[in-house]
Amino acid sequence: MLIRWRHVVATLVALPLLGFFIGWLGIIPLGASGGHWAVTDWFLHWVMRNSTRTAALRVETPPPLDDPARLPLAAGQFEMGCARCHGSPAQGRSAATLAMLPPPPDLGRVVPTWTDAELFQIVQHGIRYTGMPAWPTTNREDEVWSMVAFLRKVPGMHADTYRELAGLSATPSGTVEPPSMTCDSCHAESRLDAGSLIPSLAGQSVAYLLESLRAYAEDKRPSGVMQTAMSALDKDDFPALAAAYAARPRQRLAPESADPQALDHGRRLAETGDAARRIPACLTCHEKRDGNPSYPRLSGQSPAYLATQLRLFVSGKRGGGPYADLMKTAAENLDEADIQALSAYFASR
Amino acid sequence: MVVGGAIIWALVVGLLLYAGHARREPITARKASWLILGGGVAFPVIVLFCLLAYAVWLMPQIRPFMPALMDNKPQIEATGEQFWWRLRYLDDGGNTAFETANELRLPVGERTTFRLKAADVIHSFWIPSLGGKMDMIPGRDNVLSLEPTKTGVYRAPCAEFCGTSHALMAFSVIVMERPDFDAWRQSRIEAAAMPQPAHPGRDLFFRHGCAACHTIAGTPAIGRIGPDLTRIGERQTIAAGTLANTKDNIARFIREPDAIKPGVEMPAFGMLPDGDIEAIAAWLGGLK
Ligand code: HEC
Ligand code: HEC
Ligand code: HEC
Ligand code: HEC
Ligand SMILES: [Cu+2]
Repeated sequence: MLIRWRHVVATLVALPLLGFFIGWLGIIPLGASGGHWAVTDWFLHWVMRNSTRTAALRVETPPPLDDPARLPLAAGQFEMGCARCHGSPAQGRSAATLAMLPPPPDLGRVVPTWTDAELFQIVQHGIRYTGMPAWPTTNREDEVWSMVAFLRKVPGMHADTYRELAGLSATPSGTVEPPSMTCDSCHAESRLDAGSLIPSLAGQSVAYLLESLRAYAEDKRPSGVMQTAMSALDKDDFPALAAAYAARPRQRLAPESADPQALDHGRRLAETGDAARRIPACLTCHEKRDGNPSYPRLSGQSPAYLATQLRLFVSGKRGGGPYADLMKTAAENLDEADIQALSAYFASR
Repeated sequence: MVVGGAIIWALVVGLLLYAGHARREPITARKASWLILGGGVAFPVIVLFCLLAYAVWLMPQIRPFMPALMDNKPQIEATGEQFWWRLRYLDDGGNTAFETANELRLPVGERTTFRLKAADVIHSFWIPSLGGKMDMIPGRDNVLSLEPTKTGVYRAPCAEFCGTSHALMAFSVIVMERPDFDAWRQSRIEAAAMPQPAHPGRDLFFRHGCAACHTIAGTPAIGRIGPDLTRIGERQTIAAGTLANTKDNIARFIREPDAIKPGVEMPAFGMLPDGDIEAIAAWLGGLK
């Protein structure tokens, strides 16, 4: 038979109709219980690896990942957001998640098969059709890199090390079994030091704490970690939490030694600013006895955290409460040396 | 100017009508070529030459091309910033006697020399009623001198496109008699040593951090990123000639500067608690 144009057209019209018809009949099995055929499984996984490899080409070169301060917040996030599917060094995968299709793999075994950039790609963007979720925000690469740093340590990690990192052992009593994450798992003063990327909340102003919690809850301040930590929290609990942390005495998280020249540069910027470079004096807003309580206290805060926040302000990714634009304008023209100097100065103030 | 324009217009129209209506013999080719040579070449050359000579003669007074040789040190340093004017009155030693913004006061009948600068992009300093314009160029000091001959208030727009709010960047010029000018100048110099009395608006100004960018003489506010607000209440306009100087307008500007001047370098303070902005505006508007 001769194939004519009308045959081609008729086929093109009929094929999708046939597809809809079969879909409508309801004879396609979607149950997960049987699993995939081995060949489907192989094929899907093969596609996933190839796609991840290609997408990872876009990922910029990783920042240094060996800073131990990256681990506590990532371990906490892992406990809150990943362990229920992937298990953790302290806890195996549950039968319920193993019945997922595909089942979430044991990360201790598969992490070594990926490069840093590929892990970043997976954790930041998730994996379609598998249940592997994306990071709660696309704006916080620094947090995702911390998770990559943590994943690298997962193979062979001892359960106690993991509990210590995630702050699970910091829960006050052994009565709750298994121990769960609380705000203090991350924010307890005893767990913080000069390198911490987790801020100290003790002695912060109530108004600022409250506005920050609202900003996280309303997606106005991107942080995958805090947004996950707050997902179970009720809005009505914010004021009590803010008041409780504000009432604690602040401990200074300054490093033992800081470059005196940097401290001096930091003090000068904080006290007088640099009008020629359009940097206002920080102390006209912060740390004033009679100042606006929405302008946070910086003294004694961890310098590593301060520097991270300043970098976020400079790159326009920080967000925050109703006053955050002021700080964005104030930080606009800071360079990396200013950021280091100001963080050291305020930490030791 | 209008009268001169009207006369020339009438002349041209008259000639046109004459040429169109009068029926005469055509003039000879010889006459025609003389007319073209005379009216088309010689006349404009002579007129333009005279104008050029006059302009060249005038130039050194307006733009001293060798300011060091001509004994007129700048008395005022004007800096164009997006989108406002920083004005510094200099003392005999060339140091800043005091700073103000967006409103210039000059003595009548005397030559004032300006040093012109720009902080970010090119702006242009132009007081149409007093003289020519001159560009303000980042990294360069230009010198201009002007001699107002009549007292009064003049407006001076920025004459070089400098960004989204270029059209909202102007300043006012108040030309005053010498004694009035001296009294004003002296009082501005002394303002630094005269503490401003307490006021609820004053406390709020400091509480909310306005001092990060603004200076007000007689208070601890020494921010230098935005305009000096010392005695802002005595100015004709606010926000570089954009709004009339009323307390309501000051409040409006504090609340939403970006809506009034797109791209403005001042952040909006609309989130301040109710009443705070009004109190600050009342205090600022009363600074005279
Ligand atoms: C809802 C369950 C679920 C949660 C929560 C989850 N994942 Fe996954 N994850 C999966 C599944 C399912 C896969 C398997 C995808 C596949 O095999 O194609 C996966 C795959 C991965 C992989 C790639 C491993 C491989 O070789 O297939 C990494 C890395 C990973 N997840 C990390 C994380 C991290 C880090 C978190 C927490 C931020 C997390 N996951 C949270 C379900 C989850
Ligand atoms: C897994 C660790 C972790 C847990 C659990 C956690 N936080 Fe945080 N918190 C962080 C990190 C990391 C940041 C910094 C986030 C950022 O960059 O914005 C932060 C920031 C904050 C801030 C903003 C502080 C500032 O100075 O701007 C507040 C307020 C806060 N957390 C309150 C809480 C409360 C309340 C809880 C309990 C519901 C909690 N956090 C649980 C890690 C954690
Ligand atoms: C005009 C007022 C103003 C000035 C000037 C100012 N800040 Fe801020 N700053 C704020 C406000 C308001 C916030 C809170 C933003 C938010 O809602 O999260 C803030 C937040 C911060 C934070 C984040 C604190 C945290 O716990 O997350 C840091 C760090 C900071 N400022 C440092 C500085 C430094 C350094 C300077 C000087 C270069 C400076 N600020 C100048 C108003 C100001
Ligand atoms: C980050 C720096 C900054 C802060 C903080 C700031 N301003 Fe401004 N302000 C400016 C700049 C820049 C301008 C000039 C805007 C223009 O006209 O282009 C300005 C202009 C003004 C003007 C008009 C001045 C004039 O010469 O007409 C007023 C009034 C004013 N600001 C009041 C305030 C008050 C009140 C606050 C505090 C609530 C404040 N500003 C905080 C930078 C700032
Ligand atoms: Cu301009």
